Amino acid sequence: MAFMRVLVVEDDPTIASFVVKGLQQAGFAVDHAADGERGLTLATSEPYQVAIVDLMLPGRDGLSVIEALRRRNINTPVLILSAKRSVDDRVKGLQRGGDDYLTKPFAFPELLARVQALIRRASAGTIEPTRMTVGDLELDVLSRQVTRGGHRIELRPREFALLEYLMRNAGKVVSKTMVMSHIWGFSFDPRTNVVDVLVHRLREKIDKDFPVKLLHTVRGIGCVLKVE
Amino acid sequence: MARGSFLRDTLGYRLAVWYAGLFVGSSVFVIGLTYFLLSASLEQRDREIVLSSLAKYTQEYRQGGLAALNRVISADRLTLDERLLVRVLGRRAEAIFYNMPADWDEFDLRDVEAPQAPGTVSWARLRGRRSGAVMDVASFRMSDGTRLQVGKSSENRAELLVRFRTIVLLVLLSVVLVGVTGGALFTYASLQPIRDLSTAVRTILQTGRMSARVPTRNTDDALDELSVLFNTLLDRIDSLIGAMRGSLDNVAHDLRTPMTRLRSIAETALHSEQRPEALREALADCLEESERVVAMLDTLMDISEAETGTMKLHLEPVRLADLVRETVELYADLAEEKNVTVTTNVPVELSVVADRSRLRQVLANLMDNAVKYTPPGGRMGIEGHRTADGVTLSVQDTGIGIPATELPRVWERLYRGDQSRSERGLGLGLSLVRAIVQAHGGRVEVSSEPGVGSTFTVTLSSRPVK
Repeated sequence: MAFMRVLVVEDDPTIASFVVKGLQQAGFAVDHAADGERGLTLATSEPYQVAIVDLMLPGRDGLSVIEALRRRNINTPVLILSAKRSVDDRVKGLQRGGDDYLTKPFAFPELLARVQALIRRASAGTIEPTRMTVGDLELDVLSRQVTRGGHRIELRPREFALLEYLMRNAGKVVSKTMVMSHIWGFSFDPRTNVVDVLVHRLREKIDKDFPVKLLHTVRGIGCVLKVE
Repeated sequence: MARGSFLRDTLGYRLAVWYAGLFVGSSVFVIGLTYFLLSASLEQRDREIVLSSLAKYTQEYRQGGLAALNRVISADRLTLDERLLVRVLGRRAEAIFYNMPADWDEFDLRDVEAPQAPGTVSWARLRGRRSGAVMDVASFRMSDGTRLQVGKSSENRAELLVRFRTIVLLVLLSVVLVGVTGGALFTYASLQPIRDLSTAVRTILQTGRMSARVPTRNTDDALDELSVLFNTLLDRIDSLIGAMRGSLDNVAHDLRTPMTRLRSIAETALHSEQRPEALREALADCLEESERVVAMLDTLMDISEAETGTMKLHLEPVRLADLVRETVELYADLAEEKNVTVTTNVPVELSVVADRSRLRQVLANLMDNAVKYTPPGGRMGIEGHRTADGVTLSVQDTGIGIPATELPRVWERLYRGDQSRSERGLGLGLSLVRAIVQAHGGRVEVSSEPGVGSTFTVTLSSRPVK
């Protein structure tokens, strides 16, 4: 992957440092602006693959930063961060030139996944692999076959979908909300954790009979598929 | 404020001027007409007196000559208070007889000495030289060429009219007075509702208290109706503000418990010397707890919005069978895990106009409960039915059931029955279900028997109220 630059425009120092550090660990080069004016200056002078923009900013607010960018024909994908969660606010953000919308509070893996999705979308033409491997676990998207250490594993459609999702995001933590919307298309969180049940079932099939565990739960955040 | 009172004054001023103008104008017209008619009829009466006297004196003169005429006139002067000019002109217009009140000398009698055809009566009007009075003189020429003239000055009726004018002036003055004060009072009285309205609005704006109301009179006129409508509007705003303030208080209160829990986890971890793994656990607990706080906040906001009518519903036709299939799919694994059989019986043609994702939330919450509280080996069923004006959707389970004493309370926010405390949950699911269903203009009911199971039935109208 080429060297990726991300701009974070966020006035809250705690959230900003949380996002900046997380993105740096994920291999991005990150610039931070604490207000809208500075953010706009950076976004217009430097090439970024993605800009993460908070809506409530001192001075120039996030929406106006995005509008100013779009007026200058700068098409850097923008991920809006906001504490406003209503549908109308989301729609407004996207209509004014935002590319995605994430409500505060958020789990970092979700932010990361969305940033990566925006980059993928911008660099169109990237072909997603149809065969993926994590450790001795293999998945073939076309033949819908899963093997571990050469042993064939039978998965149900939803389990297969979850495994495919986890393998595409191998090594990255995937939040319950992400699984929920990816597998069922549900955007809200029913209290009983149906995600836990699905993860549990998948783990039974891919990990139970093997000494090396691949599917790990990260408490309070979600789960991750990786070789420890 | 200034603008309001300016408008009011202008309107009041205009109304008062119109009222007084109309009142005074019509009075002036009526009085003027009376004056004219009176003056005309007085003139008519004078002429009749002159004519009848002329006839009488002519007859006396014919029968008894000048002497008889003289006698009659002397007698008349004593008995009648009418003063008259009586003149007899000879053939060559020389005065044979002349009788006129002394103060009438301002009239020039030569003007009525012109020749005249015999047997006719002719009228002439003489104008006084000093006063503005006039004298009408009637002449009769007899067959012998003698002319008898009788005249009467307008001084009498002028005097009467002067007196009448004084009276009329007094009357007019009082009419104007009555008109203006009446106009002012009338305007003041009829603008009272508007003033009341302004007062109420001003009170609310200045004090911020919504309790001010516009007094109404039950007169059913337009202004009274406006007052009543305005009061209704205020009532509605008042109750909305009350509800929002109430839900804000509730949210603040409800968030304190999980926040306290969050704090205590963090404090406990901070104050104890623990291994890194234990601290990790505490942090994960914090994370989960904060997730609960956010979920709770979101749900409470949803409930508040739905209850106060501010929830935005994106209404569209929703096929119930699709909705049920999607939701059952969500819980399929969970039900299988718990060995709960799920059956659905929803006719394909059933559909409602509703907010799809909100309705899915309703169904998911009901199914969530059903799966949660049904022991392994149990069953749950979802059925859809058409009713007279809509559809019902019921979620039935063979779960632990709800005791009769707890049934009415299941809709309360954060209420958790004795049996449900052991399960994870916020205690907000059913409140949200009811709030969303009611926001759609529908209703939700529960029937339950402990140990046998519960049935939740959602009734929605085909045409939502909104």
